[in-house]
Amino acid sequence: MQAYLQALGILLQPANFLVMYVCALVGCVLGAIPGLSGGLGITLLLPMTFALNTEISFAMLVGMYVGGVSGSFIAAVLVGIPGSASSIGTCYDGYPMTKNGKAAKALSIGITGSFIGTFVSVVVAMLCSSAIADIALKLGPWEYFSLCLMAITMVVGLSNGSIYKGLMAAFLGLFLSTVGADKVTNTLRFTFGNTNLYGGINMVCMLMGTFALQQVATAYAKGQQDMPPVDTSSLKGFGLTIADFVNNAKTIIVSLLIGLFIGFLPGMGSGISNLIAYGQAKKMDKHPEKFGTGYDPGIWATEVANNAGVGGALIPMISLGIPGDGTTVLLLSAMTIKGLQAGPMFIRTNPVLAALIFLIVLVSAILIFFTELGTKRWFPYLLKAPYHYLFSAIMMICFMGSFSATTSIFSVYMMIGFGLLGVVMDMFGMPMTPLMLSFILGPKIEEYFRTGVSYARGDYSRFLTRPISLIFILIAVYSVVGPMITKAIKNRRAAQKAQ
Amino acid sequence: MKKFNRTYLLGGLGLAISAWIVWQAGQIPTRLVANEPGPRFIPYVSAAGLALFSLLTIIFDAPKEAAKGVKPYLDKAGWIRLAIIMAEAVLFALAMTFIGFWFTAMLGMFLFIVTLKGKKKVNWLFAILLCVGLGSLCYFGFTRGFHIPLPTGTLWESLGITMP
Repeated sequence: MQAYLQALGILLQPANFLVMYVCALVGCVLGAIPGLSGGLGITLLLPMTFALNTEISFAMLVGMYVGGVSGSFIAAVLVGIPGSASSIGTCYDGYPMTKNGKAAKALSIGITGSFIGTFVSVVVAMLCSSAIADIALKLGPWEYFSLCLMAITMVVGLSNGSIYKGLMAAFLGLFLSTVGADKVTNTLRFTFGNTNLYGGINMVCMLMGTFALQQVATAYAKGQQDMPPVDTSSLKGFGLTIADFVNNAKTIIVSLLIGLFIGFLPGMGSGISNLIAYGQAKKMDKHPEKFGTGYDPGIWATEVANNAGVGGALIPMISLGIPGDGTTVLLLSAMTIKGLQAGPMFIRTNPVLAALIFLIVLVSAILIFFTELGTKRWFPYLLKAPYHYLFSAIMMICFMGSFSATTSIFSVYMMIGFGLLGVVMDMFGMPMTPLMLSFILGPKIEEYFRTGVSYARGDYSRFLTRPISLIFILIAVYSVVGPMITKAIKNRRAAQKAQ
Repeated sequence: MKKFNRTYLLGGLGLAISAWIVWQAGQIPTRLVANEPGPRFIPYVSAAGLALFSLLTIIFDAPKEAAKGVKPYLDKAGWIRLAIIMAEAVLFALAMTFIGFWFTAMLGMFLFIVTLKGKKKVNWLFAILLCVGLGSLCYFGFTRGFHIPLPTGTLWESLGITMP
């Protein structure tokens, strides 16, 4: 409690509060515009954190995170194009509701659903994280190695497209993490005499290249489309009554639990939870035939679930040092930049900062809720933001950010190189998240593996003989092999039916 | 014979990269530490994994995609656009060293706007104001506000001009 009071004091300092609010608003705008995201905003903000203190840095980044997730439903409701994968399900009923002349109601459900999802899930995260971290402290390097391995394989197993391409990306990321001085024996690896590589590949350059530059380059090469026109005639009023909350209470609670659980599992982000929650809401409802026609529970389910993933994803990040989704990968890299050791000791060694992160999410969610309600009628203007101005500014910030990461022009060329790698991976259909995750977890995997083997006096079997480590390894294997088996069974059944 | 597609190329590239990693990892000096896998271990594991899944993607993914028929990633105009934007990125990096970040930010942003606008109409006054305003804000915000150095430009240094 003491930590939370101290954290509240820090958060209420005018500079921290203002920065958090502004970043949450910018995140909301980025989340609303299809093709951009809060994650992109966090990437662009990372270089600024070099010169700022830890508290204000996290006020910026976490505020952007919450804003980005909250704003993604806006385009889904108004033009039927999801701001991000987390709002795909919102398009199914949000856009038809707008077309039915109830845009105000659809937006209000989105705003309120987002708020409920974020707020409640973070309260749960606050209660659970400390207990999970305490349990995690009892684990050794063998379990941590297996846990990191499991996180990567789960991301691969659940990413879109080919699982083999996902695993190729993961192993490429693991290789890239070995560039530079080896932490155990200080041996230089893959540096080719270049002093810029002695400390390894700079994380900020990699994120800027693969996340931001690649996005701008591919969007331009593919020919960025303008947004379709928005019907603004039905945007007045709140559109919701107490009865709407009461009638949808069951959907809200179930979607909250789905979002929280899926967000907690490494790799399973809000892109999946909103669709699962939508499917579950449809199954539970007395009128499943109404889904897809502008039906309230369809929007409640997706928006509560995808925002509940925020709290869910924060639990493994704070208590285990394992990111729950792509955006928490970026927050974890910010922790590394600030010299913080993410993991079970984080809550013990930095109780105020851990409390501050949770409070920023809570307060940002409240601020975004009231701001969105008050400014709802201007949402269509967000979708009119010209891409050529936005992308040009993003490009310029990428160059500035990558240079300031090491104050060397080498980083800028490295960022361009990673941008090109991102384009190539996009061309081959290789997912980017496994590469980023294994690049960030790679040094930990190596450290835990090598210390584990060393502690066991060269005995490699310890990873399989310790029960918790074995469970993690089995889950890791299943998350890769499971989808392959399921697919093979489906193909066999389809072939049998065809015969 | 199955039609060649880019997944075969990806598999081939993956195999080539893993062979290169093995070759390079073999040159990493090893210092003997008791009961420790050594600095070559993880590079070897990543090469082995990359090779294995490159092979699997050639065996399983490539024929499927060949049968389905894969759309080209970009058309000719798209490739040209990609080449232009990447060339501009390299030009931006070169200019940063030569004329410094402040001027490059303003000129570079303007160049990006001209390129990215395509056939859309642009308010040139707004574009210029945005480039000058945002470029200056970022430069002075970083160098003065955050005390993070940005390149001042070798050209001005050689001419004896001190940039702000």
